[in-house]
Amino acid sequence: MPFKEKLARSLFFLAAVLSAAVTLAVLGFMIALSLPVLKKAALWDILSAPWSPDHGQFGILAMIVGTLCIALFSLCISFPLSLGCALFIEVTRPGGPGKVLKKIVQLMTAIPTVIYGFVGVFLLVPIVREIFVYGSGMSILSASLMLGLLISPTMILFFSQSFARVPQSDLNAVDALGGNTVQKLWYVMLPHAWRGILTGIILSFGRAMGDTLIALMISGNSIALPSSVLDSARTLTAHIALIIAADFDSIEFKILFICGITLYGMTSCGILLARGLDRKPR
Amino acid sequence: MTNAFWDKLLALFSWACALLLVGAVSVIIGFLVVKGYQTIHLELIFSTTRPLDALLFKQQVFDGLFPAMVGTLFLVVLSMGFALPVGLASGIFLAEYAPPRVKWIFSLLFDVLAGIPSIVVGLFGFSITIFLHHSFSDRIFPCLLISSLSLSFLVLPYIIRTTQISLESLPLQVRLTAPCLGATKLENIFLVLLPSSLSGIVSGIVLAIGRCAEDTAVIMLTGAVATAGVPRSIFSSFEALPFYVYYMASEYADPLELTKGYGAALILLILCAGLFVVAYAIKTRLTLKTPYRF
Amino acid sequence: MMEKEIKIQTKHLWFYYHGRTILENIQVEIEKNVITSLIGPSGQGKSTFLMTLNRLWENIDGARAKGSVDINFGNGFEDIYTVPVSRLRRQVGMVFQVPNPLPMSIFKNVAFPLRLMGEKDQIRIAQKVRDALERTFLWGEVKDRLSEDARTLSGGQQQRLCMARALILEPQVLLLDEPTSSLDETSGRVIEDLLLDLKRTCTIVLVSHYMDQVKRIADNGLVLTDRQLKQH
Repeated sequence: MPFKEKLARSLFFLAAVLSAAVTLAVLGFMIALSLPVLKKAALWDILSAPWSPDHGQFGILAMIVGTLCIALFSLCISFPLSLGCALFIEVTRPGGPGKVLKKIVQLMTAIPTVIYGFVGVFLLVPIVREIFVYGSGMSILSASLMLGLLISPTMILFFSQSFARVPQSDLNAVDALGGNTVQKLWYVMLPHAWRGILTGIILSFGRAMGDTLIALMISGNSIALPSSVLDSARTLTAHIALIIAADFDSIEFKILFICGITLYGMTSCGILLARGLDRKPR
Repeated sequence: MTNAFWDKLLALFSWACALLLVGAVSVIIGFLVVKGYQTIHLELIFSTTRPLDALLFKQQVFDGLFPAMVGTLFLVVLSMGFALPVGLASGIFLAEYAPPRVKWIFSLLFDVLAGIPSIVVGLFGFSITIFLHHSFSDRIFPCLLISSLSLSFLVLPYIIRTTQISLESLPLQVRLTAPCLGATKLENIFLVLLPSSLSGIVSGIVLAIGRCAEDTAVIMLTGAVATAGVPRSIFSSFEALPFYVYYMASEYADPLELTKGYGAALILLILCAGLFVVAYAIKTRLTLKTPYRF
Repeated sequence: MMEKEIKIQTKHLWFYYHGRTILENIQVEIEKNVITSLIGPSGQGKSTFLMTLNRLWENIDGARAKGSVDINFGNGFEDIYTVPVSRLRRQVGMVFQVPNPLPMSIFKNVAFPLRLMGEKDQIRIAQKVRDALERTFLWGEVKDRLSEDARTLSGGQQQRLCMARALILEPQVLLLDEPTSSLDETSGRVIEDLLLDLKRTCTIVLVSHYMDQVKRIADNGLVLTDRQLKQH
């Protein structure tokens, strides 16, 4: 191999190693910087205690619960909506209206997160406050509604992609036997498409957990454990954004790296699961 | 009869979902347009400064969006400057050189990188700053350079993926054309494979630019501030459009500032939607012009 | 009567794709400056055989060949694995079933191999491009639109463009993989005429599945069945 070819090959390889190193460096930094805290307090205490720096308590349980609650509720809102839209695109109106909807959904992926947050603050929160007459309106419900809207394009595109991959011959078979659309969906499409659907759900869940701005702007950021969907809550991501201004050497600040690892761990697990599912059956 | 009933129910459900989604999006966009369109004129951007002076950086703009827009522009340019060469080269390596097992490991790592929440990437950037601050110079603070580096980590997996997928989806005949004529692997990549997959790669890059322009979580941890003016160097803090929108939503002092927030949000929305449309146009136009019939 | 002169000979040539045997112990001789046709059921490795003659299989994942191929480029038989691969492929041109113009202008497509060789002399390039296009009867049709995208040409024109691109290097051997099967009857006939003209200077191996085409233009024939290649 001539020198130029070898040089190019090594440069490409180097770039790939560099990019891969970023992934590992993020993890490495998080672990290295949270070690001092872990030496002082057991991980379990940090994960289970309340957050009350004035009393020397630096637990992040409320944030983990907040993160999971908001992500789960947004999934509950988004899943049926996305399934309906994907069915609209691929099954009930695959022609003109479906194509238009698909374009709109694709365009939705381009809407900046901060816009959802901004509109949430000035439009959704007042509405929630008026309807439920409870607190400030900054609540798990408001955040989940907006977040549900944010993650639905991911889900819709994944769902419709997996519906589109169902072989036409199988669909024709059901039609030939006189089956209706619901039967077609239940007996042919779902068995074929469940992997794609599950992958879409997992990835959107990861997206919901990883989002900062919506939760930060409209969930109220209370550090108490939430007891209803109308309560305010704080997510891990918002916690990082809120505490970052603290003194570098304080425990509060170092706890952030535990939050970071937790988020890193949760989203990576999602990615691994999704990759496992995505592998071709057979 | 039951068949028709179930079919109707399904149609009703899907129509309801579609209308709900489109309705919600229209409300969001409509709300911004209604509240923000009146504020959009030169004064919103340049305030009382003469636009030409501002554009030539002769005079700082106070109370206008100009510094935030310039900040976002610098951010995009710098982070793409970091991410593009590395991302393209990694994508080429994955698609053309990596043996299957190596490819598996690398793409796993890039998938994980793509999944890391942006706030964690921001935290990483911030901790690098502290690290540098402690070990090298105590004049290093969160700044434009750190922000754009962190942002480049964020968009790196996107660029790698689109490059890799665009190259891998080229048909075998295109791959073999140049080698048949005696081209080496490198010549094949640069003279044939990259030009042939340009549309996919470019539209991926435009989408990555969109991500750089819209991300707030990374920059709020690594150097974006509410008032900084046009950044003087890559080591100074800066303003950025998305951060401005966030800041106005939580810290606005009077209704006038709030209307500027609406204006900024609308400009950001138009910018990102515009980038999306550009990416889409590049993809469809270049694809239409490439009628390979394989 | 003229003595038969051999251009290419294979010895104990085996070919595997992802562990599956495609070609089994192929021993054939291909005569110089005639058209040798290669027929056989589809999907049995006819294209594969062509790829063993210019080492193109090396660019395909999971392919493996063993055995020897020797070509006489004028100085006696040479093992193709001892010839630098880019020099070999310049001497052994190949044209595929579906025309594969590169995403660039007509002129640049034909000049592309010269560019790869590092030719800088614009006048000589222009002359060679013209010669190659004339040889494939394409010059008259495209001389006014040389800077247009090559993909605006019709299928038959594109295929002749690809032949011009292969011919500009003046190869001694030309491998053709069903070059007319994606074209209509008339365009196919033009290509056939071209091949009959080319065999004065080129050794041509033609994969074809049209028996009438083989009868019309081929001098010798090879048949591929059950991984074996037989002369007939």
